[in-house]
Amino acid sequence: MAIFRLHIPVLDQVKQKGLRPALKEKWVDVVTRVTAGLNPDDVRGVLRDDPPGRPNPRLTPHAEGFWLHMKPTYYHRMVDGFYPTFRLGWLSTFFGVFEIITGIFLMIYYTPSPLVAYENMLGLLSNVPFGQVMRDMHRLAAELMVIVVVLHMLRTFITGSYKKPRQFTWATGVVLLGVTLVLSFSGYLLPWDQLSLWAVTIGASMVEAIPPEVVGRNVNLLVRGAPEFGANGLLRFYLLHVVALPLAGIVAFGVHYYKVIHHGHSLPPEAEKVGEDTAKRVPMDSRVYFMPEILTRELWYVSALVAILFGAAAFLYNAPALEPHANPLVTPLHTTAPWYFLWLQGLLKVGDKVVWGLIVPGLLTGLLLVLPYLEVGPSRRYGDRRIGLSAGALSVAALAVLSYMGTPYYGVTTSPDQEAVAELLPQTHPGPLRSAPWEDLTLGSYEAAAWSSAPNATLQDLLHEFNTSLTTVLSPDRTDVAGVIVIEDWQADLKKVTLRVTWTNVADGSAGEFSESVYLHRDGRYGQGA
Amino acid sequence: MKAQIALGMLAFLALIGVLVVVAIGEPERMAEVTRAFEARQIETGASLFEANCRPCHGPQGQGIQAVAPALNAPDLFDGSRLAAVGFGGTLPDYVRGVVAAGRPVPSAGTNYPQRMPAWGQEYGGPLRSDQVDALVAYVLNWEARALAGGGAPPTPSGPTVGADITVALPPGDAQRGKALSEGGLGCSGCHILAPVGPAWLASGTEPGIGTRAEQRFQAAGYSGKADSAEQYLFESVVAPNAYIEPGYQANIMPLNFADRLSSQDMADLIAYMLSLK
Ligand code: HEC
Ligand code: HEC
Ligand code: HEM
Repeated sequence: MAIFRLHIPVLDQVKQKGLRPALKEKWVDVVTRVTAGLNPDDVRGVLRDDPPGRPNPRLTPHAEGFWLHMKPTYYHRMVDGFYPTFRLGWLSTFFGVFEIITGIFLMIYYTPSPLVAYENMLGLLSNVPFGQVMRDMHRLAAELMVIVVVLHMLRTFITGSYKKPRQFTWATGVVLLGVTLVLSFSGYLLPWDQLSLWAVTIGASMVEAIPPEVVGRNVNLLVRGAPEFGANGLLRFYLLHVVALPLAGIVAFGVHYYKVIHHGHSLPPEAEKVGEDTAKRVPMDSRVYFMPEILTRELWYVSALVAILFGAAAFLYNAPALEPHANPLVTPLHTTAPWYFLWLQGLLKVGDKVVWGLIVPGLLTGLLLVLPYLEVGPSRRYGDRRIGLSAGALSVAALAVLSYMGTPYYGVTTSPDQEAVAELLPQTHPGPLRSAPWEDLTLGSYEAAAWSSAPNATLQDLLHEFNTSLTTVLSPDRTDVAGVIVIEDWQADLKKVTLRVTWTNVADGSAGEFSESVYLHRDGRYGQGA
Repeated sequence: MKAQIALGMLAFLALIGVLVVVAIGEPERMAEVTRAFEARQIETGASLFEANCRPCHGPQGQGIQAVAPALNAPDLFDGSRLAAVGFGGTLPDYVRGVVAAGRPVPSAGTNYPQRMPAWGQEYGGPLRSDQVDALVAYVLNWEARALAGGGAPPTPSGPTVGADITVALPPGDAQRGKALSEGGLGCSGCHILAPVGPAWLASGTEPGIGTRAEQRFQAAGYSGKADSAEQYLFESVVAPNAYIEPGYQANIMPLNFADRLSSQDMADLIAYMLSLK
């Protein structure tokens, strides 16, 4: 008695029908299963853009398969063009998937511990083939995704697509916006260099202010894992970045897209009567079928975008160079939050931390979430929504202004002597001195005022810039302002460069001095990425 | 649609092309990033050395006699020091070990008044392991110049000033005194602003060393033999333990300057210190 019997049906078929017909039949069977309903001839027909048979076999994968079960079988011709979607929702989805794939690559080389995270990043750049280009792509696509998602939101706002019946679609979209921003923000911390630590510290500084004090303190502990960022905070942000937020995003996207399809893509506002929604009723002659037209387009978009992103990351774009290792004790001058949170930093400069850092942004976010339930005007037409559209434009302008106010150019008080030195030797990026050709830093001591007599153009430029920024040190309180750059030979291939600002305090005639030194190695390679 | 299929294929080929171009460049790129990383380590090490090690090992690692050995010296790199200590590993391991863990027990044949402190956090010191690595990279970068003989501190030639503070000194040059104090003698490492010895520059209500010298030798509690500001400074350098500044410890300031300075050096140093009011 056999314990089990091996039965390979195809062998029976081969016996019955002969080798070729049996294999052919098997092939048809496999293709039909993989495509969830299309046999090889159907696939060929799709590729050739032949007219579909009747009944249309190209609808089966939507009905039978998982991957296309939410994708509509056809779209209204009026929403298939560039207008009205500008493909922005599609692009958001593309970038989301792109981030997951590049992110998995980066995960392989990364350990979320302050002891090794920074070293891992250096290892990724110096010891992993394609490591740098992967980091650049992940970073580039993350920034683009934020932009695209915001534009997508703006377009659904402008075309009035958030209005009844799509209110909930909008609300899930706001959740997706939040997920996108926090995902990007949590990723910021992971390289564990000065830039990442301090940008995230500024972004997270609000939670501490939550009143009453017990709540603020404990929420801060929850977020950072300790009073300040350290091993626990890094682990938390890592887990948010690679597990919690992607999961939340995938679920929210499922709901979002389900709702989009459920209601149908909204037609251009002028195409319908006011108060009507005909998105689901697509006349036969306006249908654009997913297969083959939209499928082909999406495939070619994907291959083009991947090629463009890869090329851009390889030749044009560099993720911000790694700054020195994170140091909780040293706050670099002029650190800013990531650009998409600059508006928050700007709000913080307006006034009280609790009011402007918590209550106002909280209210704004809440307002955004429930916007479609508050703004219930029936018409989606541009002409009927002058107030709404103007309010939208004003909000965008306000965000731009606030973001500007978030930058160090606005309302930051530091001493002008430090400012003058930071002009050449900034603490948040390499800056002109570090990026200058090392060979041109001729040993010697140079007066900024006598910049034109420096031995070469590089030094002249640096001294000239120094001299210009020194004018800001001159004030009714300070006279006799002078600057020197001293370049010393320090070690083999290592120079020490000191920037010194001196002045006389008018009040008591005493001398003031500020200086800062930097050591520069021949192979430092600043300003060239990595 | 045909156009789209063609464009899609083209984009795919372009992607492969970019991939190949990048792949060809990768070994060179990775080597370059590695070099840049090592260069940055040395830069970081230099500023850490300035902040932490200079008071004992001197501004350029020439060492300070009777305080700490030279690190910028050929015997560290030609293997003779490792052999003398009986260390069987590599030089980077040796330097890393000493910097991270310090030297709780003086090595045989040395008699430094202070111990080499432990710097690594894993030994209770203040520095992270990547910072210790940076210091090691910086110390090792002295190799070429040390072996070429550039690193040895200049030994004084001719007669030295001695410990008698009443001898007449030649006229001093404050400018040269400043240079001396910032050079291999290591004075400025402990004195200019650093907290190891009394600051020379005026700070807060405390006057500079020049003014202090004029007041100190007449003040109550002064235990030395000086009768003038010049003699006070002379004594403080050649016999630091004759009078210990309140708040500081004996035996930190090197005790052998009497045998290292010429009369001219001493006069120049005094002139410089007196100029710091
Ligand atoms: C308090 C003074 C002091 C400071 C500060 C100090 N050292 Fe030392 N260092 C010493 C002494 C003393 C020795 C010799 C110890 C011995 O051999 O017993 C020494 C030895 C060393 C050695 C071994 C040299 C050899 O020849 O064996 C190295 C390397 C070294 N120090 C590096 C450093 C570095 C790097 C720093 C800064 C992070 C530093 N030291 C700061 C006092 C100091
Ligand atoms: C290793 C650190 C160290 C070095 C190097 C050093 N000193 Fe000192 N110095 C001290 C300490 C500590 C004191 C205070 C203890 C004392 O009075 O002896 C001191 C005290 C002095 C004083 C008396 C200070 C006062 O405020 O009255 C003078 C003067 C002085 N040092 C000069 C020098 C000169 C000149 C040199 C260089 C040739 C030098 N020192 C090198 C550590 C150092
Ligand atoms: C990760 C972020 C997001 C993804 C992946 C995403 C994806 C999509 C997709 C694929 C569509 C259909 C195509 C299109 O209209 O362009 C869509 C429609 C829509 N999205 Fe989003 N979206 C995101 C964020 C948002 C945000 C932030 C909002 C607004 C707050 C929003 C509101 C809407 C609305 C209202 C529609 C319906 C548009 C219509 O029917 O015309 N979405 N989204």
